[in-house]
Amino acid sequence: MNWKCAIAVLLLGSLLTACKEQKSSAEKFAEDGILLIGNNSEPQSQDPHKATAVADGKIICTLLEGLVRPSPTEDGAVLPGTAERWEHNDTADEWTFHLNPSAKWSDGRPVTANDFAYAYQRLLHPKFAGKYAEMLYPLRNAENFSKGLCNWEEVGVKAVAPHTLRLSLSGPTPHLLRLLLHYTWFPIPAHKVEELGGMLDRRSLWTRPEHWVGNGAYVLAAHRFNDYLSVSPNPQYLRASELKNKGIRFLPIVNGYTETRMYLGGKLHITNNVPPEMLAYAQAERPSDFCRDPYYCTIFYRLNTSRAPLNDSRVRRALHLAIDREALVNKVVRGAGAPSVTFTPPGAGYAVNAPTEPTTQAEREEEARRLLAEAGYAEGKKFPVLELMTTSRDVQRVMAETIQAMWEKVLGIHVDIRSCEWTAYKSAQQNMEYDISSSSWSGDYLDPATFVELWRSGGGNNCTGWGNPEADAALSAARNTGHAEQRQRHLQQAEELMLHELPILPLYHSQRTYLRSSRHIDGWQPRLLDNFPLDAVLVKP
Amino acid sequence: MIKLLLKRLAQGALVVFVLETITFFLVRMLPGNPFLGERKLPQHVMEQLNALYGLDQSALVQYFNYWKNILTEGDFGPSLVREGLQVSDIIAEAFPVSLWLGVLGMGIAIVVGIPAGMIAARCKNRWPDVLLMFFAMLGICVPAFVIAPVFGKTLGMHVPGLSVAGWDNPLCAVLPSLTLGLINAAYLARLTRGGMLEVLSQDFMRTAKAKGAGTIRQLFIHALRSGLLPAVSYLGPAFAALITGSFVVETCFQVPGMGLHFVNATTDRDYFLIQGLVLCYGILIVGANLIVDLALVALNPRLRTQGAA
Repeated sequence: MNWKCAIAVLLLGSLLTACKEQKSSAEKFAEDGILLIGNNSEPQSQDPHKATAVADGKIICTLLEGLVRPSPTEDGAVLPGTAERWEHNDTADEWTFHLNPSAKWSDGRPVTANDFAYAYQRLLHPKFAGKYAEMLYPLRNAENFSKGLCNWEEVGVKAVAPHTLRLSLSGPTPHLLRLLLHYTWFPIPAHKVEELGGMLDRRSLWTRPEHWVGNGAYVLAAHRFNDYLSVSPNPQYLRASELKNKGIRFLPIVNGYTETRMYLGGKLHITNNVPPEMLAYAQAERPSDFCRDPYYCTIFYRLNTSRAPLNDSRVRRALHLAIDREALVNKVVRGAGAPSVTFTPPGAGYAVNAPTEPTTQAEREEEARRLLAEAGYAEGKKFPVLELMTTSRDVQRVMAETIQAMWEKVLGIHVDIRSCEWTAYKSAQQNMEYDISSSSWSGDYLDPATFVELWRSGGGNNCTGWGNPEADAALSAARNTGHAEQRQRHLQQAEELMLHELPILPLYHSQRTYLRSSRHIDGWQPRLLDNFPLDAVLVKP
Repeated sequence: MIKLLLKRLAQGALVVFVLETITFFLVRMLPGNPFLGERKLPQHVMEQLNALYGLDQSALVQYFNYWKNILTEGDFGPSLVREGLQVSDIIAEAFPVSLWLGVLGMGIAIVVGIPAGMIAARCKNRWPDVLLMFFAMLGICVPAFVIAPVFGKTLGMHVPGLSVAGWDNPLCAVLPSLTLGLINAAYLARLTRGGMLEVLSQDFMRTAKAKGAGTIRQLFIHALRSGLLPAVSYLGPAFAALITGSFVVETCFQVPGMGLHFVNATTDRDYFLIQGLVLCYGILIVGANLIVDLALVALNPRLRTQGAA
């Protein structure tokens, strides 16, 4: 009988304590100054050389600090991070960074130029197989080294003094500082990694909380799989006194509906995403907390230009013109985006001219029918049934059905929809086993090149079979100029050529919709890359 | 009895082995691989990754290595997606959570389902029967992904102490286990009702009644033991399914249990994790069925002679 009593007492006791404490988690954690933030999915790794997801990046940016850090006041601007100053030559392909001598790892050891060189060598090492090694390809000979074609000594990274790092790049890179904000450019504690298995050990445990050593504003405190990951202030951090909160707890909530419910139930301070179906509800429930920010991401359809009839640019343009983007964004995505006929989202001072097109939707549809007839498919007759591939996400499926109906109505053609689970979809897309594939692309860094470079002939992420020597030349010219304005013009030229031939159908530039507690959170600003420095977020009780 | 046990154990081991073998080859036949990401990996990186985890070898060699590592070192392999974590660590962290929810859920299912079924059988075709079976049918028909958010929204947000979702205090287990429990209670109620009805119409029950046994005595002493047989057969596999977690309930309540892994590991093609989970689930199902078999023998004397023969 004893155990029954024990359970009864335990249940009753916890019920009573719970009833006594009426405060929500959001209130309790706010009193302790700890930020509760929804972080989309369980992180892949806290190792900057194994992580690839946005959710990982958010955590790593609190744990490690690169040469520069993002400004909390201006999007895209950089402030000195571990480097206190830097200079570059006239052509911007040789950069020297002077590290702050007082920068320390969380175990008290100094951060040296060697820690950076060690990190870059590790990510690029052919035996390590860094998934994101391409981010370091601007370094001279980096690509060759990662393919095992040259020695590390030939790569453009030199620790010339304990606190001086020299980076030699394969071409002029005036936008290097923005690249450096990405976690692939962060240092790792060479001494700790060596202690726990060495540079090439992919199974190394150095990123576990019990072993963690970092130079960021926080250190890894605890991690429970699929539950939470928490970070606490790093007392050795360079600007430890400037920290605005006492820690962060990241919750890996994949499901946007659950996340929104948790926010409304007082379990979070900031959410990651409000799904389209809940936008109106969330906005009505919490008008002052609801946020809709531009995001450096484009939603578009890839067309497989190696297959007929999509190898005909008139057919592609007809499909393009027949889509009513206003209706799509307003009715399906419910305002979580801005309709667009260009690819690169606005930002970083870049804008591209779309090819001249009819303005009203009726005129566009008329033009679409004319082009399709010109290509030999008047009123959609004899047009083969194409397959439109999407992921199994609800929004994507509904979007595909909408566009399917638009094409049927305007052009009289029928497409079949194939909805695949994520890995099968990705596999088919990367192997070009599709006709039309719903796609999205988000920028790694705040610069148009992260979008336009996609369309280089034979590029790994092109996946459309399209290529244009003129556009390739423009992209190469952009890589080889140190002049920022000229570089922009080359990129614009490349994108305009791509938009003229349309291997893709741009649909809209997405916007992030999320909830943020106006009562508990201060100092937050929207960021195109969703990379606002979390150490600058003030948590109020 | 010992013979039966040994026979069942041998059968169980064979089932688990076949299950694991089929899984091993099936997951490798799925399109894609564990290293596919948003961005296409350069060919040489993909090759290095495959070589690093031995995925460049033929499926047969991989298969033998897999069993060798398990049997000689107890190593179930690494997670291929959350690199640095071992499959055994992931299961060891998630299983206790699902086990706790499963036990609570099963408790609720038994406490609610079996009495409901007995009452319904006793009051056959009268209003308590109709009412209870209406709710049982509702519990079977309304899917968990509807019940869970409704509980979260109504009870979770308004009843003090209860949690809309998450896993940060002990009471967070209440709503997920209630959801799991009530769904299973619905099945149990219907099975118990069916089993009891069959028993109640038999001759020995009339004899018991004629001898003056009261309702309680009739139901509990005479009818229950045989009437529970269908419910008990259901309980074993249901319990194994419950303690290995439910994807829907764990997603709706943000519970860090095993159910999430079953679906995520498959969509991520995390080969070793899928195999580890299937192995774990297989062993639990076989174990639960074994316990059910033994319980049925204990409840039904006729099986004892059959088993001996």
